[in-house]
Amino acid sequence: MKKLTLNQLSKPIILVAFFLILTILRPSSFLSASNLGNVLWSVSVYGIMVSGTIFVFLLGGIDLSIGSLCGLTAVTCVMTIRHFNYSTTGVLLGILLTLGVGLLAGLVHGVIITTFKVPAFLVTFATQIIFLGLSMIFTNNKILSCQNPPAFTMIGKNPVPIILMIIAAAISWFVLRKTATGRYVYAVGGNPQAAAISGISVTKITIMAYMISGFTTAIGGIVLASMTQQCMASTGSGYEQFVIMAGVIGGISLLGGEGTVPGAIFGAVIIGLLQNGLNLMSVPSTQHGLVRGIVIIAAVGFDALQRDPAFQGWLAKRKQARAKNA
Amino acid sequence: MKQQNLRRIISLGMLLVLVALFSALSKYFLNPNNLLEIIRDAAVPGIIGVGVTYVIITAGIDLSTGAEMALVAMVMANIYRYTLIPIPIMILVGILVGLLCGLFNGIIVAKLHLPEFIGTLATMGIFRAITYIIAIKENGTITSQPMKAYSYAILGKGFGRIYFVTIAFIVISVIGQIVLKNTRFGTNLYSVGANPKAAELSGINIARTRIIAYVIVGFCAALGAIFTTARLQSTTALLGDGFEFNPIAASVIGGVSLAGGYGDILGTFIGAIFMAALENGVLKLQMNTAYQYVIKGCIIIAVVIFDAWFNSVMEKRAQEAAAGGKEE
Repeated sequence: MKKLTLNQLSKPIILVAFFLILTILRPSSFLSASNLGNVLWSVSVYGIMVSGTIFVFLLGGIDLSIGSLCGLTAVTCVMTIRHFNYSTTGVLLGILLTLGVGLLAGLVHGVIITTFKVPAFLVTFATQIIFLGLSMIFTNNKILSCQNPPAFTMIGKNPVPIILMIIAAAISWFVLRKTATGRYVYAVGGNPQAAAISGISVTKITIMAYMISGFTTAIGGIVLASMTQQCMASTGSGYEQFVIMAGVIGGISLLGGEGTVPGAIFGAVIIGLLQNGLNLMSVPSTQHGLVRGIVIIAAVGFDALQRDPAFQGWLAKRKQARAKNA
Repeated sequence: MKQQNLRRIISLGMLLVLVALFSALSKYFLNPNNLLEIIRDAAVPGIIGVGVTYVIITAGIDLSTGAEMALVAMVMANIYRYTLIPIPIMILVGILVGLLCGLFNGIIVAKLHLPEFIGTLATMGIFRAITYIIAIKENGTITSQPMKAYSYAILGKGFGRIYFVTIAFIVISVIGQIVLKNTRFGTNLYSVGANPKAAELSGINIARTRIIAYVIVGFCAALGAIFTTARLQSTTALLGDGFEFNPIAASVIGGVSLAGGYGDILGTFIGAIFMAALENGVLKLQMNTAYQYVIKGCIIIAVVIFDAWFNSVMEKRAQEAAAGGKEE
């Protein structure tokens, strides 16, 4: 019980600390309305994606293709709109087609992983390359701009992405917390054998999780394309790292079975602030990896340490010693 | 052991099919010079693949090899540009940097208990960022550093078309295979990957075994960096970007199981040549690089699926054999 309250408190404290540090270091630029708007923009894309990918994480799986699928879906959306001469119907069709591409990619992942019992890591590693190649073929390695129609550009304008993120997070939270499907996801992630024996279809749950991940990635791709009003093959590259980091920082265990949607959204906010902070300090983007890497090692290392039986034993011993002294 | 032989014949068969296919499609593919070139291109991923195979046998993974290469190369470039340290010592320092990178990975994974995948993803970012920080800059912009000294560039050459890197590839693979099969360390790698609990109970120091495996990857990555930069006679901060994928793919195609405890260097050797032949063939067909990505990805998935199927069939057969034995 005590550990729980500490965990609950640690998140707001970290968040406030981040805000304070950035405010002190860059008072004028960080607190400006336009900068906070920027933070919310990037946070909303990570937040939308992680709301769906959390299903995969909870199963103990991983989706490395998020970044390049984000690019492929952005390309699909923009190309459809351009094909229909920037008409509103084109936008509608583009969005539907894009969501379909996302779902299809998830279906392919899920079916390959469950039918052939192969590691998700390898499958999504390979599809990552395939999606990147497809985007390169479709765009012919060019940047496709798309500044029309308003129906498309409004998707990326504040506050639409934030509203989308809140909706995605709320649905995901509801499904995971309040429905049987959500409980099945936790059960399969915690112990697949036990879940299978108790009559849960692990295959169905796994395929569904990857499809949800593909679906939210597609939404992220559309939002990203609309925000930047352009797309290219490298759109969204590296986003898999941001999303995985957001999840991990938010307390999702990559071994499966543990983690919550609010935690993941918290992780997305932290990542957004971190990125923004590094930009404000004018750290070149090539060096962000250093900070990101250290944050991952600290966050995951801390999590792993808490699970380590030797560390638990040490904690218990210390507690006993303290009780004795008292 | 029978399963292993069969798997080897299959991966050799796949290589032959690929070579036959490209020979039929392109008249530039099947000639001695091109085949020697393929083996040279296979060498650097193959050398790094020796270390990566060790790590995968312990049920781990290393995503940081490309970044390790870049860091090693950039440290050497700095020494080359700003000091008068002789080339052999520069190379030794480069190898030392590789070993340290591997040690760092090993400690994070084996002592801090980070999942291998996440831990080495993080160090990939860290090594790459450090490379950018120490990158050679001219007027504030990052440039490539030429390394044209004769005693260094000679490493990128060879006896005619038998390149030094090819010889190193073969020598290191042979040593790697012998260490894996005939030393206690090699046996420990298999036991740690197959059943860590049992390994621990039988007195194997798991953490040490895993750390040594990562240090060997660092060493191999340093060698890869040295041969690559010697051949290019320059280095950039982008060296090895996305390269971490190749040694892993070589191992997987060669039959090393990502679940750990299974596979060997000979398989990775064949796998590295397979990947190089694939890349060379696609180039010879004058296809767009974009198609290369798609084809490579599809072939990886196909091999992974085939391997899963093959292993399940083999397991079933073994079970049936065991059951049959009991009945008798």
